[in-house]
Amino acid sequence: MAGHNKNNIYLKKSLFYPRAIRFLPIIITIVILIMLPLYASSYIVFVAAIALLYAMVAAGYDVLLGYTGQLSFCQGAFYGIGAYLSAILTVNYGWSFWQAMPISVLFVGLVSAIIGYPALRLRGAYFAVTTFFLAHFVYLIFLNEVSLTGGPLGFRGIRPPEPIGPLSFESMANGYLLILFSFIIIYALLRKFVNSNVGLILKSIEQDDILAESMGINTAAYKLLSFVISAIVAGYAGTMFAHFFRLLHPTTFSWFLSEMVVIITLVGGVGTLIGPVLGAGIVTFILEFLRFAPEIRYVGWAIALIAILMFEPKGLMGLIKRIGVR
Amino acid sequence: MLKVTGLTKSFGKLVAVNNLSFTVSEGERVAIIGPNGAGKTTTFNLITGHLKPDRGVVEFYGKNITGLKPYKICRAGIGRTFQIVRSFPNFTVFEHVLVGAISRYGPRAQMDLLKNQTENVIQKLGLNAKKNTIVRNLTIVDKKRVELATALALKPKLLLLDELMAGLNPAEIDEYIELLKRINEEDGITLIVVEHVMRAVMKLCNRIIVMHYGKKLAEGTPMEISTNRDVIEAYLGEGVAYA
Repeated sequence: MAGHNKNNIYLKKSLFYPRAIRFLPIIITIVILIMLPLYASSYIVFVAAIALLYAMVAAGYDVLLGYTGQLSFCQGAFYGIGAYLSAILTVNYGWSFWQAMPISVLFVGLVSAIIGYPALRLRGAYFAVTTFFLAHFVYLIFLNEVSLTGGPLGFRGIRPPEPIGPLSFESMANGYLLILFSFIIIYALLRKFVNSNVGLILKSIEQDDILAESMGINTAAYKLLSFVISAIVAGYAGTMFAHFFRLLHPTTFSWFLSEMVVIITLVGGVGTLIGPVLGAGIVTFILEFLRFAPEIRYVGWAIALIAILMFEPKGLMGLIKRIGVR
Repeated sequence: MLKVTGLTKSFGKLVAVNNLSFTVSEGERVAIIGPNGAGKTTTFNLITGHLKPDRGVVEFYGKNITGLKPYKICRAGIGRTFQIVRSFPNFTVFEHVLVGAISRYGPRAQMDLLKNQTENVIQKLGLNAKKNTIVRNLTIVDKKRVELATALALKPKLLLLDELMAGLNPAEIDEYIELLKRINEEDGITLIVVEHVMRAVMKLCNRIIVMHYGKKLAEGTPMEISTNRDVIEAYLGEGVAYA
């Protein structure tokens, strides 16, 4: 009898239990997030939407930094190009969001390929610095091309995405749900991508690109691929941001945003994909909660950041793994 | 299959490889030997595209491959291992070799085919027990084995091995000699090895090219080389040969 019980527990642990442990939290989290507009204030919903956009950008960026090992500082630029182009096409040219969005995303992909092709020939810090200046250059365009972007006055009059059938995206709750839905799809696609054979190739480049190259892997092409993928994801998040927030200002897309994406990814844990997502949530909410004290906001943030990277350089995921939760 | 003509490479004032010419035919086992700094590794790097020659031509199956990018040269059928072991430290042994198979057959190839290829190579190199070990945790000897396995998963026609046997004990060297002979005879892979372990060179190779100060000093069978006066001089210094 006792043996039978023991067996049962064993079975539960080995077969059923781990699977439940794996999927239950994901399902619960998704349900909580879907229900969020029902019980949380609109302010919380708003912050959650921004956090999800950051999570999208950071997850895309992790393909580049975590999986391919290329440090870059220009996700903000791609996010901004997506946002401004989609806004310009809808407001100035009367396109619908559903036309403007794919074109904007495609354009961001094209820009990233044109920039990435020569820039990725540079290695390490040189590549990083190049992308840093690209981000600043794009920011200066947003700021100074007043006729196109409205410059420092901002870009106004952006409409929410046109309704699909009975589904309107006018309300903040529905806008939030659209972002959540997009995030889930993009995350699933990215997860599939990094777990594929191509993902394995990227990881090999991250570890030793000279060996990868001598093994017949076209490292330049794969680096470019992951650069373009990370840019496309950022561009898509940008279009979402434009039609959710409906007011664009150049400072939103300054170097600070690019930096934030890098920090989010590092805090969350590079090369894990889920880490940067958690990082986005935590960083966004910490920065929001520090809003009551704007003077010490970034001081507190900097101290927290240094502490995290000193005590757990592998980020949150490293911490979670060390504690032993899987 | 491989024809090197007038290969020259300088680093500043140092001429590392000086007007080197040799040919390798299909199925051969050739050794390149020479004192430290003779230009052996540089020659490998020039053939595999990691360095671009100042002058000279490398032809593979009649096709000029001089100065192509390393990945293109690999795809043409030339594999290599490195003098200082290179590996992907965070992969398991299986994943490490699998990347080779993926590179060979393309990422969209049938997963069964890729896994079979990987298993075969792992089996052949006796790495089965360590299949799921993280490469970082392996000994240097096993890392070399993994590097060789990965190179074999690429199914090269010609394999360049740079000091594969350095640091091995005599028993392991014998094992490797047998292994390399099998790779050569059963899989039809032509071998060029850079090696300091003379016992291995003599047992394994049917032809030896001796380099000295970037130039070819001598070429011949192990027997001819071991009695060549110039070679003995280069290794042991002038005078000794006459003693």
